[in-house]
Amino acid sequence: MAEPIDSALDLLRRLNPKDVKQNVDNIINLNPSLEEELLESVDIPLSVKRCSSTKRDFLCCDYNRDGDSWRSPWSNNFEPPIDEGITPSERIRKMEIKANEAFDVYRELYFEGGISSVYLWDMDDGFAGCVLLKKCTSETAVNGGSWDSIHVFDAQDRARTAHYKLTSTVILSLGTESEALGGLDLSGNMVRQVEQDMAVEDDGSHVANIGKMVEDMELKMRNLLQEVYFGKAKDVVGDLRSIPPLSVTNRDRQTQREMISSMSR
Amino acid sequence: MSRSQALSSFIESAPPGELSDVTKAIKNILGEESVLSELEPAFQKHNEEQLSLVKLPGSNEDVIISPYNSLGDGRYYDTENQSSFAYDHASLGGTASDVQSYVVESNHEDLVKGLLKTLRSHGTEHYPKYHIGVYPTSDDLQIALLTVSSKYSPANYWNGRWRSSYLYSPATSTLTGTIAVDVHYYEDGNVRLLTNKNVNTKVSGSGAADVVKAIALAEKAYQENLNKAFGGLAEGAFKSLRRQLPITRQKIEWEKISGYRLGQDIGGGRR
Repeated sequence: MAEPIDSALDLLRRLNPKDVKQNVDNIINLNPSLEEELLESVDIPLSVKRCSSTKRDFLCCDYNRDGDSWRSPWSNNFEPPIDEGITPSERIRKMEIKANEAFDVYRELYFEGGISSVYLWDMDDGFAGCVLLKKCTSETAVNGGSWDSIHVFDAQDRARTAHYKLTSTVILSLGTESEALGGLDLSGNMVRQVEQDMAVEDDGSHVANIGKMVEDMELKMRNLLQEVYFGKAKDVVGDLRSIPPLSVTNRDRQTQREMISSMSR
Repeated sequence: MSRSQALSSFIESAPPGELSDVTKAIKNILGEESVLSELEPAFQKHNEEQLSLVKLPGSNEDVIISPYNSLGDGRYYDTENQSSFAYDHASLGGTASDVQSYVVESNHEDLVKGLLKTLRSHGTEHYPKYHIGVYPTSDDLQIALLTVSSKYSPANYWNGRWRSSYLYSPATSTLTGTIAVDVHYYEDGNVRLLTNKNVNTKVSGSGAADVVKAIALAEKAYQENLNKAFGGLAEGAFKSLRRQLPITRQKIEWEKISGYRLGQDIGGGRR
């Protein structure tokens, strides 16, 4: 029999992705021993906090959390404040500041709004981190949606290169409602992984390398989401019901087959 | 949320054709085999709402389970076979047993027969694989018309279902109901399309063909609107969330990123 954690992940892959947070909470209530592993391995839409010293919004996830406080990438302070919260080493924090500046530009260029946050932490043979991006279109609009990117990576230092491992999740939620259409909700998430070796001269190279990997990955995932959300979903509806009468479609196909076979004779 | 509410919400949210997978996962998370009987009310609700199908013993035809052909105490009837049967919701995949002869008494007997025939020919024209049901309501004032079309392709990680449920009132010639589409795609992810459209229309004429014509018109208009909505979301909400490329139409030069000045070089104000 499968491990309970595998069954929990299988269940979350099937239930409505829009309710993922509620479903995770429910599974934890039913089997509290799964809590730690579920919170680590399931991506939920990112929540937003305001950094009180810089007055800038930042994104929260398990990686900038210490107890019930979250570290701001802008000030390195925890919100709400705590004593001796875990912060990165000086070298890693320097890189983190650079990465946050770079992804703030990235965010503006691709999302034209929204919020970005990058968190880095020290590892024995290098460092690891996550790049978070979130954008919601106006919730009062008839056509609304939200995009959450969660890119988690680690970088292993080697001679003049580094080996990067990136796991990316995009949570995309779209909804629309009108008299003619009724209600429509199209929500979900997709996950992809990639590994790559890239040249490293100094810590600035790391920021550029991670930037390139995330940019390539988001381009790939955006195309994939477009294909699944608007291509695949529409095709399945067409498989369930045909607008043109099937007798006409079948007759056309028959005629086509006869033409092809008469030509090949 | 209580344990039973949580479990019911899982069953209710089960995608088309995946109820047994969802149930298996629940059993394993709880480490309890005996949870099935506890889930029975949720299974019943799910089966009736989703217009689940069951084969009657000794028959190859599937019949629909719905609130409209329920006789209570876990028994349902089928108009075409003129029989009633017991349905065990707690046994996964559901089995029918104890088939008895059952003739529904209604003042609209001939109309029901006519509707069965015309709704079936409508189904054959538009649904590659479908099942229908036509049942007079218990007060005999309305007639329920149901269509369900499901396609499962778990090997390709997708499943889908189209459901139409209408109530036709012969006295007022009105047709009300809903069309609902549910599509699940789960290869390296979990994507769900859920739609719900209310139908409320007047039927011109009183024959079975007139009723089914109104249904055909409503369904065609809905499917066309749905197809348009995919295009509208792709061009509208999706594009406004994230651009495919920056406004410069060039990928970022990461080595020079500190030279980019927000709001000036790259255009577009900050929000």
